Amino acid sequence: MEYVALTVGFIVIMAGLWAIMTRKNIIRIIIGFSIFDTGLHIVMVALAYVKGRTAPILDNTVALDDAVNLIVDPVPQALVLTAIVIGLGVTALMLIFAMKLHREKKTLDIRSFKDLKW
Amino acid sequence: MISPIHIITIGLGGAFALGFVSKKAKALTTSLMLVAIALMGTISGSWLFELLSGGTETMVYTAGFKPPYSINLLMGLNEALLTTMINFVGLLGGIYLFGNLKKAGSHAVMVFLVFIMGLNVIVMTRDAFNLFVFMEVVSIATAGLILLTETGKSVQAGFKYMMATGIVAGIFLLGVIFAYYFSGSLNIDDLAAANITAIKGGAVAVMMILVALVLELKPFPANGWALDVYEASDPGVAALISAASATAFYYVLFKVISIGNADWYNIIAIAGMITFVGSNLFGVKQDKARRLLGYSSVGQLGLLMAILGLKPYLGDKLEFIAITILVSHYLAKAGLFWLAGIIEQENIKDWAILRRKPIFLVLFGTFVFALIGFPPFPSFYGKWELILALSSAGQYYAIAFILIGSFLEGIYLFRWLGYAIKLDYTKLPEIKIEWNKVIPVAIFGVLIYVIGAYTGTQMSGLDSLCYGPLLMIPFLYAIDSLKVPIKNTIAILGVATFAARVLPGLYETDMLRFIFTFIFLVGGILTLIAGYAYKGKREGFYPVALLMFVGLALIIRASNTLEFFYGWEIMTAGSYFLIIRGKKSMPHGLSYMLFSIAGAYALLAGFGLSFAETPSIEISSLSAITSNITIIFSLLAIGFMTKTASLGLHIWLPGAHAEAESDVSPMVSAILLKAGVFGLMILMIAMGHSPEATNIGYVLGWLGAITALVGNLAAAFQEDAKRLLAYSSISQLGYILFALAMMSHLGWMTAMVYSINHFLYKAILFLTIGAVVMRVGTHYMYKMGGLIKNMPMAFVAVMIGIIALSGVPPLSGFAGKWLFYNAVLDVQWYFQGAIVFFSGIIAFLYLFKLIYSVFLGQLKDNLRHVKDISIWFAIPIYTLILGIMIFSAKPEWVLQPLGDMVSQWYPNSALSWDGGLATGPYGYWNGTGVMITVGIMFMALLGWLLLVSRKAVKVKQFNIVYSAEAPQRPETTHVSYNMFAGYNKALGWLVAPKITEFWDTMTDWVHSVAHYGRQLYSGNGQVYVTYVVAYILAIYFTMIF
Amino acid sequence: MKNIFIIIIIAAFGVMLYPLFEDFSGNDELSELASFYAQKENVEKVNSANLVTAVVVTYRGLDTLGEVTILFLAAAIIAFSLRKHSVERDLRRNSEIFKTASKVLIPIIMMVGVYIFMNGHLSPGGGFQGGAVLASAVILMLLAFPNIPFNSKLFAYTESISGLVFVGLAAIGALIGSGYLDNAILPLGTFGELLSAGAIPVIYSFVGLKVGAELSNILNEFQSVQSDN
Repeated sequence: MEYVALTVGFIVIMAGLWAIMTRKNIIRIIIGFSIFDTGLHIVMVALAYVKGRTAPILDNTVALDDAVNLIVDPVPQALVLTAIVIGLGVTALMLIFAMKLHREKKTLDIRSFKDLKW
Repeated sequence: MISPIHIITIGLGGAFALGFVSKKAKALTTSLMLVAIALMGTISGSWLFELLSGGTETMVYTAGFKPPYSINLLMGLNEALLTTMINFVGLLGGIYLFGNLKKAGSHAVMVFLVFIMGLNVIVMTRDAFNLFVFMEVVSIATAGLILLTETGKSVQAGFKYMMATGIVAGIFLLGVIFAYYFSGSLNIDDLAAANITAIKGGAVAVMMILVALVLELKPFPANGWALDVYEASDPGVAALISAASATAFYYVLFKVISIGNADWYNIIAIAGMITFVGSNLFGVKQDKARRLLGYSSVGQLGLLMAILGLKPYLGDKLEFIAITILVSHYLAKAGLFWLAGIIEQENIKDWAILRRKPIFLVLFGTFVFALIGFPPFPSFYGKWELILALSSAGQYYAIAFILIGSFLEGIYLFRWLGYAIKLDYTKLPEIKIEWNKVIPVAIFGVLIYVIGAYTGTQMSGLDSLCYGPLLMIPFLYAIDSLKVPIKNTIAILGVATFAARVLPGLYETDMLRFIFTFIFLVGGILTLIAGYAYKGKREGFYPVALLMFVGLALIIRASNTLEFFYGWEIMTAGSYFLIIRGKKSMPHGLSYMLFSIAGAYALLAGFGLSFAETPSIEISSLSAITSNITIIFSLLAIGFMTKTASLGLHIWLPGAHAEAESDVSPMVSAILLKAGVFGLMILMIAMGHSPEATNIGYVLGWLGAITALVGNLAAAFQEDAKRLLAYSSISQLGYILFALAMMSHLGWMTAMVYSINHFLYKAILFLTIGAVVMRVGTHYMYKMGGLIKNMPMAFVAVMIGIIALSGVPPLSGFAGKWLFYNAVLDVQWYFQGAIVFFSGIIAFLYLFKLIYSVFLGQLKDNLRHVKDISIWFAIPIYTLILGIMIFSAKPEWVLQPLGDMVSQWYPNSALSWDGGLATGPYGYWNGTGVMITVGIMFMALLGWLLLVSRKAVKVKQFNIVYSAEAPQRPETTHVSYNMFAGYNKALGWLVAPKITEFWDTMTDWVHSVAHYGRQLYSGNGQVYVTYVVAYILAIYFTMIF
Repeated sequence: MKNIFIIIIIAAFGVMLYPLFEDFSGNDELSELASFYAQKENVEKVNSANLVTAVVVTYRGLDTLGEVTILFLAAAIIAFSLRKHSVERDLRRNSEIFKTASKVLIPIIMMVGVYIFMNGHLSPGGGFQGGAVLASAVILMLLAFPNIPFNSKLFAYTESISGLVFVGLAAIGALIGSGYLDNAILPLGTFGELLSAGAIPVIYSFVGLKVGAELSNILNEFQSVQSDN
């Protein structure tokens, strides 16, 4: 199971990179970043998994005394939460830039924004 | 002590609390933010103070658990220093951006505050994921600040920035999460201890973390986005990115590198050196000010990265080196970006606007010199220790890379400085002075001197006298608005005081230093006297002239190579400013500076290698070197020969000397060139006795001979009187090099006599010709002529000068010639000797041309009423003539002590004295007798001429040259125009500007490489992302192979 | 042609990722770090039933502070950089069904949001999730009633107060507790109950409010510059 998740995560990361590096439309590039981030999140969750265990919430099904042997790793799960929120902030800001770029040149083609070079 | 964690409380709490302040009270919001940053700075500053005065570092644990269970932060000396730096530049940067922040409103103010807070945290945190979070905080805040002044370009730059950092952050996160998987901890210290690089996957995880951090430091070539940000964002923001962010991210790499294995140091060293060289190379072609600063910033970060990577070779010097260079970069780059924002000129040529407020020019110059690593700035000491340490470790490639990169940076920075000093600014607008923008720059300008002086006191081997006399310079600058006579008197008194302190006693103890001190300081006083001839204020002249003389004095006083190099660089800086003062001196100033920097780096490398051999920096220890002599001797000799302008390294001299002001030419010719001679002598005294040095000496001898010949030939074909004298100097220095290279008693006697003579007559000739030029307003000899009647004083002076120079009896030049032939025969350098002899004959050509075309022949109509040279020039000239006369009449007064001196190193086997009668192996000579004889003959001939000339018929001057037709260029008919056309036809090929062409071709290559290379930065953000990914892959594949 | 180059790059990237995959062997045991969090005596020190929340709010609370800061930054940047662009927009007419349904749904969604962040220490969820749900109620409101007066000041104050409470509680931890972000400054309560885990529910509630306010603000800013053509 975790191997599948990891493989999928890696493939999604590479798909995101593909979009970032080949799409010409800025919105699509931003979507590429979201895909890239999602891939990272999948990988993180995959790394947290422990075979046959349950979520790290100590309710009726998970006895407090034996929690060590019943739950998956809570740390990557906490990290992924943080990473998701960060990804959200980044995406929001990128969209602001996209909007401003579009206002400037009435296009979203990344190739038309080369005023700064050399 | 307040816990450093409250930097976060204040920064973040402050940002949240600002939401309560009325949106309309914008100034209040901004001021409150500054208070918050000041509080953060107080916390970090108090920790810095505490730790500097012996306190212990503190680890801050959060949540009541120890790491790795919770996040911890460290406040050690490094952290305290860096957070203080960040908060300080944040405070000043906030003041600088006050207007922009106020206009953008409270949200922008919050972003600014969070930006500074985030940088503090990434410096302090010891947790890898926490580092990721706050790196993201900083990068989002940076993107926000880029939008602060919104232009089309800044939005584009911001988006490219977000794309690049988006990838980098993703890679970092991937690395961190796998590092956690393989090690079970997120704590940086645990990760370092876990050594997960032993397994393949762990090695990849570590690579991802480190390569992401390297990418945050904008490595070449994956840094196009960073250049765009530097160019397009508000200069106030760019200053923070360059100073504060770079400081923080550098430290992150500094602390995290320990998680990698030893290979990582090499990778980072190489990445850094490629960045330093590549970025500075591309910068050469750049003419947009802020983008150029971007190139420079990126380059400096590369240097810092290289220093970190070279850690295994730097040992305990690492932190000193890194901090001095980092601090210099931090102060200089923030200052430069801030200046860019004040003057608002995009093209570097328009930076001439700085001269509207000369204090800005001073600040600009300060920052430029600090970046290159001149004394007294901290980077000077950093570079010194760096090269010494690398030499000791045998890292020669690293030395070469670092020096080449610095040199390339010097090219564009000094070209830029030259533009600012020389180009026309009258068409440029006034500078708008906003005090909140000026004060931060001024504070950084002062700080860089203060910190430099402090660093100096931390160096062992640096005498306090090394910076004491330098205090003259700010003083002279402070009184720069006074009139010339007052300042001139103060300057002369300054030099005289120094001379009075140094000279007495030196005569008995150290003859060599006595002679050179005499030339430098007494020569300095004499040439300064000519300054009284100038009217008005002559702004900026005195501080830089004194700078050069202080440098010269320091060279003499130096007892170790550090002091020597310190003085050498001070002298270079001073003479650069003197030379560039000339009207058309901009290109010559630049080429002088570039040759000087290259020479200084050769010296630095040589001193470094010699330190590695001994290991000591005492000059006397040079003689203890037993291996690597060839390379050390060659490097040092090349370094000194850039100042003596030996053939190949001479192309800066003619322009620099010819275009300089009338009293500056003798300073830089008669006096400054002797610094190179002094250096060569010091070198040969210490190392000349080894067989390797003798071999190099043989080469130097040939070089000297050819220099003498080519210099004289070139002088003969000049139309410009000062250029003629300049080439003559090249040739004379060739003689001296030749004589020194013989490394024998007579050779050195010759060299010393030539040095003294050259000082005397070249000062006379340059002063006189300079004074004439001041009167007639042209350098060109064919525009002069017949001035003998108007300028008898000048005529007599030139007459005596050329007699002395040509080496005919009775004047002192003959002493040199006589010794010279004895010496040549003694060491049996017949071929070379013949060349020098031949070039001596050529000297007559140009000397004749000089006196004939200027003073004899027909007087030009427009010069009918010129007056004789200024009395203020005549005084030093005739004082020097008196010197020549004494030397000529009583040569033994000088030669006997010289002989004793030289005997210390080369025992006298050839020359014996009997009163005034010198007997050499190939003849004898009595200076006094010759003088009297020639005097009598001269008087007799003069009397006879006067007698017969009574009968002479005076011919009126009239013009029948052109038979009814005026030639297109009338000057071509002047007798002295192309005077030696015949010789030119026969021998001109010898002086064809092959060497100039060589250097021009080199320059063209550098420019072409820069031109084609920089097209890598296509401007497309997507392409930049591709570079970033490719860079990661390149590092990965380098790592596995 | 260029794409072939990029395919090569992506493939090489895959090659770079492969060692990670190769050395990945799943987990049979918790790491030493995770075991620490799951051990009874340590769980009782924090007293949060949801261990992820314990990690997020307490052990790695500084990350969360940074995380909150990022949303705050994004909202602030969007606010100051979009202000210049305000445009008049055409107000759509929404159907009655949509409006009425919204009136019913909005309070419910908000309640769910509040529930999620208040129970963050007991059940899956927390401040960020709850805040996001709150914001979804706000966007529904903005869509259903585009001309409703949006009190951005209220949201800004909520944001500021919540942020200050978070930072304040964190600092109190450093001053009177055993460290920054120590949750034991408030009574730890009985394990598994609403009022347990010390400061965690308080912090998470304010995080929820803050996130909700920030996201709402972002959405409102975006909405205010959007034009329908």
